[in-house]
Amino acid sequence: MPAAREGNRALQLSDRITGLCLVALGGAAVYGATQQPGVPGQDVGPSVFPMVIGLGLIGCGALVALRVGRSFEAPDEVVPPEPGEAMAAPPRFAEWRAFLPPLLLVFYMLAVDTLGFLLVAAAITLVVCLTLGARLRLALPLAVLAPIGIHAVFVRLLRVPLPDGLLTLPW
Amino acid sequence: MTDLLEGFRLVLQGDVLIAILASAVYGLVVGSLPGLSATMATALLVPVTFYLSPIAAVATIITASAMAIFSGDIPGCLLRIPGTPASAAYTDEAYAMTRKGQAEMALGTGLWFSAVGGIAGTLALLVMAPALAEVALNFSSFEYFWLAVLGLMCATLVARSSPVKAIASMLLGLLFSCIGMENPAGTPRFTFGMTDLLGGIEPLPALVGVFAVSQVMRALAEAEPPPLPRRRFGSIMAGQWALTKKYPKPMMRGNIVGIIIGVLPGAGADMAAWVSYAMSKRFSKEPEKFGTGHPEGLVESGASNNASLASGWVPALLFGIPGDTITAIAIGVLYMKGLNPGPTLFTERASSMYALYIIFILANLIMIPLGIVMIRIAATVLRAPRASIMPVILLLCAVGAFATGNNLFAVMLVAFFGTLGYVMERNGYPVAALVLGIVMGSMVEQSFVTSLIKSDNSLLPFFERPISAVLAVVTLGALLWPVAAWLMRRLRARRPAAIAAAHRP
Amino acid sequence: MDPISRLSRRGILGAAAGLATAGTLARPGLAQPRYPSRPLQMIVPWGAGGGTDATARIIAALLEKELGQPVNVVNRTGGSGVVGHSAIAMANPDGYSIGIITVEIAMMHWQGLTELTYANYTPLGLMNRDAPGVQVSASSPYKDIKALAEGIKNSPPGKLKASGTGQGGIWHLALVGWLQAMGLKPDHVRWVPSNGAAPGMQDLVAGGIDIVPCSIPEARAMLDAGRARSLAIMAPQRDPQFPDIPTLKESLGVDYQTAVWRGIGAPLKLPAEQAATLTAALQRVYKSNEYSEFMKSRGFGMDWADGAGFGKVMAETDASMGEAMRAAGLAKA
Repeated sequence: MPAAREGNRALQLSDRITGLCLVALGGAAVYGATQQPGVPGQDVGPSVFPMVIGLGLIGCGALVALRVGRSFEAPDEVVPPEPGEAMAAPPRFAEWRAFLPPLLLVFYMLAVDTLGFLLVAAAITLVVCLTLGARLRLALPLAVLAPIGIHAVFVRLLRVPLPDGLLTLPW
Repeated sequence: MTDLLEGFRLVLQGDVLIAILASAVYGLVVGSLPGLSATMATALLVPVTFYLSPIAAVATIITASAMAIFSGDIPGCLLRIPGTPASAAYTDEAYAMTRKGQAEMALGTGLWFSAVGGIAGTLALLVMAPALAEVALNFSSFEYFWLAVLGLMCATLVARSSPVKAIASMLLGLLFSCIGMENPAGTPRFTFGMTDLLGGIEPLPALVGVFAVSQVMRALAEAEPPPLPRRRFGSIMAGQWALTKKYPKPMMRGNIVGIIIGVLPGAGADMAAWVSYAMSKRFSKEPEKFGTGHPEGLVESGASNNASLASGWVPALLFGIPGDTITAIAIGVLYMKGLNPGPTLFTERASSMYALYIIFILANLIMIPLGIVMIRIAATVLRAPRASIMPVILLLCAVGAFATGNNLFAVMLVAFFGTLGYVMERNGYPVAALVLGIVMGSMVEQSFVTSLIKSDNSLLPFFERPISAVLAVVTLGALLWPVAAWLMRRLRARRPAAIAAAHRP
Repeated sequence: MDPISRLSRRGILGAAAGLATAGTLARPGLAQPRYPSRPLQMIVPWGAGGGTDATARIIAALLEKELGQPVNVVNRTGGSGVVGHSAIAMANPDGYSIGIITVEIAMMHWQGLTELTYANYTPLGLMNRDAPGVQVSASSPYKDIKALAEGIKNSPPGKLKASGTGQGGIWHLALVGWLQAMGLKPDHVRWVPSNGAAPGMQDLVAGGIDIVPCSIPEARAMLDAGRARSLAIMAPQRDPQFPDIPTLKESLGVDYQTAVWRGIGAPLKLPAEQAATLTAALQRVYKSNEYSEFMKSRGFGMDWADGAGFGKVMAETDASMGEAMRAAGLAKA
């Protein structure tokens, strides 16, 4: 997928930086591999595979940082831009809003056992829906119906034990 | 002949037919929900099979798994969120078609060629099960090693970005697969003292994270795109017939590759789809169109993953060896219902075997009408406002990840992989390659280490054994080919440039 | 026989029971309702679709009939079984959370994976036990266990290979224990780690390895297909389902036995009265026709022990596993 988007540069890092990140990660993998204990009865221990991967990552990272293989990226531009993409300017701070979903998932993980699925799910729906610019007229009914619908499918049909928490459905 | 008639009689019972229909609808619904896999759809059916007659019990498993594998394509095509690792290979292609306004066409291709592949796989099962089983039995860890490496190389072929970045993504996936104690040494590795990491990183939370969560993240970061152009198709299937006539070779190749890979235990539908998509691009007359919404790759890999699903039953039925997680569950059901796997199943219980074949064919046939209905319903998602779809997807991510093991840690993993996938995509690293690395990692390491143990640390058997040698040549050839092509292009490009430079005053 | 409507019907029944409970709880001052008065959950530390999952589900279905309350199976996977086993131990000891405990509980703490041991549970009943067999390929030169034992003794260390689980897995330890009982070093036969018994059996037939010491139900399809032979079983007596396979003791004179087992347990501090109710119900489940039919169809071995007996089995296994793991250099703790 094309990465460059006008006005959204906050996470568009240079190849130099991502390449160096890969080198660092590869180095960490190699170091971690050397810390693995040997296993009695096996000559090829648990260290070999991460070691090879680590070295590979160091190599790839270096190539990316030196911008080798850029020539292959040329076909990337063949992908037509999304129609009308240029017209709509993205909202301000948009790039950082992108981190809302993972944070909401962490919130789900921490809160679901005490508050229960329905309340947490309603809160998440409401937040995402409003952030995407929906009116309350859409967001509120959705925040009520979506959790109940998902609860019905998963708890009744698939028998997944979603925690009840503070709010229990009357069926 | 009497066995065949008896097989028909066994299938054409009220309870069996109802079981097929109900599990078909169930498989379609579960498979289409992002975050729920075909394996899970099958596993959740096991308690139901307790109450069914033997043939009906097996019928639910066969039907639900075939439907779920197809319907995993639906969210992939409409929202760029693959439902199973098998659809991850061609999700970008299908989504590109959706952006061109051809969502129903792309889904129809998936549906039609899934059914074709499924029927081809069944015919292979019917005609050559014992022969195919011999092939499977001749695969030892040496052969699996080359096969796994070959699978990994598909990452570079499939991606449209720099091959260096594709390889880096794949290596990152392999590094994630090192986590946990499911390695040949059985020691906890890179777990940082966390109990939840002991079992390693499952492909499903990673898949859900890098595709679904990062899609929601992207939606929040970008302005709402204008509504997709929508062209109404008179008939979803009419176009498919044209495609069948246009791409008969890719279709057959997909069927054959799917059947062969499916038979090998440990290499299931995931790998079949990847290898077929890569092959399709390699041998296509128009490789430059791949990734821009070109149906050729969908034809081949769609046929391939459903063909592998049917042939995956060969080692399961003959030797009780599961071809993938779905057949592992199916073997349990077969035993429970007194249809013990083994050659005697083919001789003494031939009528039951014919019944199984008939169910396979029937399941693939009713897939078409039910699938069309499902596509029509699902396509309404495209017209719904983004603000109403994205929150639901995020909830499904959380609940689907949780449901795989009723473990909240999976939700954490999904959040992590969502962030990682988002940052990677922003910088041109293909996330599908990451998923491939996670799926294939343990197979690469396991087959390499166990091979060395078996050969007392000699590398020779990797090249000595006949099948192994052939695979080695194919792998090394595929590995060196792009490098050679690149060098040749460099040389050719340099010469005109040099001439041009010489002519400059 | 529509599976979906069946599911939802069971769901409705369960929900109705839940409502009834809510009704009784809402009236304080009434006598404590008879246990169990609401649905139970049975935690399975392994994934849906496997052998342990299937066993747990049949037990749950039959227990439901005995107790008159739904028993919901919950798969808590992750951490190679550690997560689910911890979940059982740390659940509320109110009698409404039970779980299926597998032999891994006697191994994990020796490997330093968890602090958890068998002593963290209230054992309720042993439901299943399977002894490993000694399987060789049909084309193997060793026709009986004596020949194989001689072959092992006369081969240089590391020449013969065996497989069937990961390094340090249950069947690896069974092999180590057997080798030691014959007076050989634990790594005299080299262990090739595999992802379970089925790939091991496949490799056996493909000629990659020489021995697979996995349980007989796991080897059954290959035995039936005539591709592999089971030379002996590491059990005190022959398995009634496979009466042709001799025990190690009668055929080789080596008295070594081990087994995998599955049993039902609850957290510590479970009130004795509830434990007695559950054990009695489990015993009725064990004796039911449905249970023995199911176990027979899957080829799983039947073995019953009550709470105290199951506790003893766990303690014995724990000690013998510790010994084998220390010998093989696999124990950390």
